[in-house]
Amino acid sequence: MVSEERDSEIMARLQKGVIEFDEDLVREASHEALEEGVDAYHAIMDGLAAGMDVVGELFSSKEYFVPEVLMCADALNVGSDILRPHVVRGEKSRVVGEVVIGTVEGDVHDIGKNLVKMMFEIAGFTVHDLGRDVPLDQFVEEQTRTDSDIVCLSAMMTTTMLGMKTAIEKLKAKNPDVKIMIGGAPVSAEIAAKWGADGYAPDAPNALQEALNMIKGLRELESQG
Amino acid sequence: MVSGRLNSRERVLGLFQGQEIDPIPVFSGMGNVTVHGLEEHGWRFPEIHLDGYKMATAAASTPRLFGFDCAVVPFDMGVEAEALGCEVNYYAHHTDILYPTISGKLADKVEDLNVRVPEDLGGAGRVPVVTEAIRLLKEDLGDEVAIGAWVLGPFTLGGQIVDLDDLLKMSFKKPDLVNSVLEDLDRVLVALAGIYKEAGADYLTVREMGATGDVISPRLFGSLIRPHLERVLASIESPKILHICGDTNAIVEQMAQCGADAISVDQKNELAASRAKIGPDAIILGNLDPYGVLVEGRPEDVERSVREIIASGADAIWPGCDIWPTVPAENMEMLMTAARKFGGGR
Ligand code: B12
Repeated sequence: MVSEERDSEIMARLQKGVIEFDEDLVREASHEALEEGVDAYHAIMDGLAAGMDVVGELFSSKEYFVPEVLMCADALNVGSDILRPHVVRGEKSRVVGEVVIGTVEGDVHDIGKNLVKMMFEIAGFTVHDLGRDVPLDQFVEEQTRTDSDIVCLSAMMTTTMLGMKTAIEKLKAKNPDVKIMIGGAPVSAEIAAKWGADGYAPDAPNALQEALNMIKGLRELESQG
Repeated sequence: MVSGRLNSRERVLGLFQGQEIDPIPVFSGMGNVTVHGLEEHGWRFPEIHLDGYKMATAAASTPRLFGFDCAVVPFDMGVEAEALGCEVNYYAHHTDILYPTISGKLADKVEDLNVRVPEDLGGAGRVPVVTEAIRLLKEDLGDEVAIGAWVLGPFTLGGQIVDLDDLLKMSFKKPDLVNSVLEDLDRVLVALAGIYKEAGADYLTVREMGATGDVISPRLFGSLIRPHLERVLASIESPKILHICGDTNAIVEQMAQCGADAISVDQKNELAASRAKIGPDAIILGNLDPYGVLVEGRPEDVERSVREIIASGADAIWPGCDIWPTVPAENMEMLMTAARKFGGGR
């Protein structure tokens, strides 16, 4: 066991490593954590993921841009690869939920989609990324194959956005219980509601929050039923 | 002051020669084909990217139907990447308006990228299609209407040929590697611009939308993107325009210093503030919202937008990106009417 003081020192180093996209620092601090008996799950959540929260704020305030965020995510993954195998079994099965994500057919804008995907992975979701320019039927197939809780559709053009409406209809016809979240610059909460999506978010941090709310709703339903 | 008797071509070229044009031109450096032009021939969108005659005819339809001051080719962002060996999806069997996309990149990782510049760039991929279209446009409309062509900026082209996320990260981690890739692309783009000018393009636009303020910081723009834009622009014959869409508010001054004759911005730019930053003499083109206003707005919205753009000190009414083809005819008509009515030069 480490002292409280040493514990917060290690958490601070993990956070700093993520925020400053310093992969070496993250690697070092992750090994220290393991050697000194720090709980791996605690190190992931309160070290790495906590650092990523700060990164999200820096992105919102335009101090960080897309490349910086992508590099922070790489640094986080270095730590998570080291720490995750040591997470105690009970905690490991704490997969938050499963998500299918992709940019819809005819649209190659995937920078925003990739940021959303990254937030989900960090929060412990299993993410099935279909990439960009994804034929609408493929969302249905992948959801059926993986039995994912949530499907996320991204579009950056007003025209390709229309494909989301069809995708929502197809997904709901196949599996009425699946939760659908849509986003991308031309999308709004009104459009999402009108087309029967279950959620919308203007940016990646809010997308995660929205997904967590959806999962909570789903789990409550399951425990009742 | 040059009066309203100018034809479209004189109006556009006069602007670049520093004349005061009244009313100011209504033109674009990017695609402006409309479904109205396609309908006349019964052509579908995918067809016009692959045939010089169809490309020229489609491009000519906007000045012909609406009195727009220019005709511009090409329409999609795949031409350069295809000439370098990438695969392009034209969505040949789709009836909707889907823009061609790169379906096969040269590499996933910048490290694995090996850009081979074709010896005969003028004969590579669809370059001959675009040059034929420029030649035809020049022959048919060249005396009355300005003929425009565009190339991607080096960084945006980089994002077409290699995984963009990797390019963005390597821009920090291995700037030397990225710089050497961009240098190769600079040469390709300068050569291509030369080919288009020689075919008869009156002006050339460099579209560096991949380096927008929504994606990269002003600092990275200055250290990595700008030197390449300066190089490319220095080697392109005038008139030449630098276009970046998205949030350009923090980089307009840098844009104005890249060596273009004019800069172009979209609706996310606060035009009046930008004018104040870059001074009265720099030419700034913008910033009509090509979808939100032109496609989804009513004619009144188009009119209001034109008046606002003029009031904020733009030198031309110019859409912030490609005009989306499904634009209603009455909005195009209002665009022209309002611009001619209110567009007294500054
Ligand atoms: C970069 C860019 C490109 C790059 C894309 C590279 C890539 N791999 O992504 C390239 C150069 C390839 C490109 C191509 C084209 N582009 Co473009 N592009 C842009 C640009 C400048 C920035 C987009 C971006 O990445 N923003 C940054 C990210 C971080 O923001 P974001 O995507 O909005 O994502 C955030 C949120 O929306 C949200 N979010 C995103 N997805 C999801 C999903 C869910 C479920 C949720 C909850 C939230 C969410 O979270 C994200 C992070 O916080 C925009 C202009 C602009 N500023 O918006 C034009 C823009 C999108 N492009 C446009 C056009 C027209 C094109 C082309 C058609 C041009 C052409 N002639 O070919 C082609 C499209 C080809 C095709 N068929 O797809 C137009 C679209 C107009 C329209 N009809 O609506 C725009 C709006 C430019 C304009 N001013 O008009 N483009």
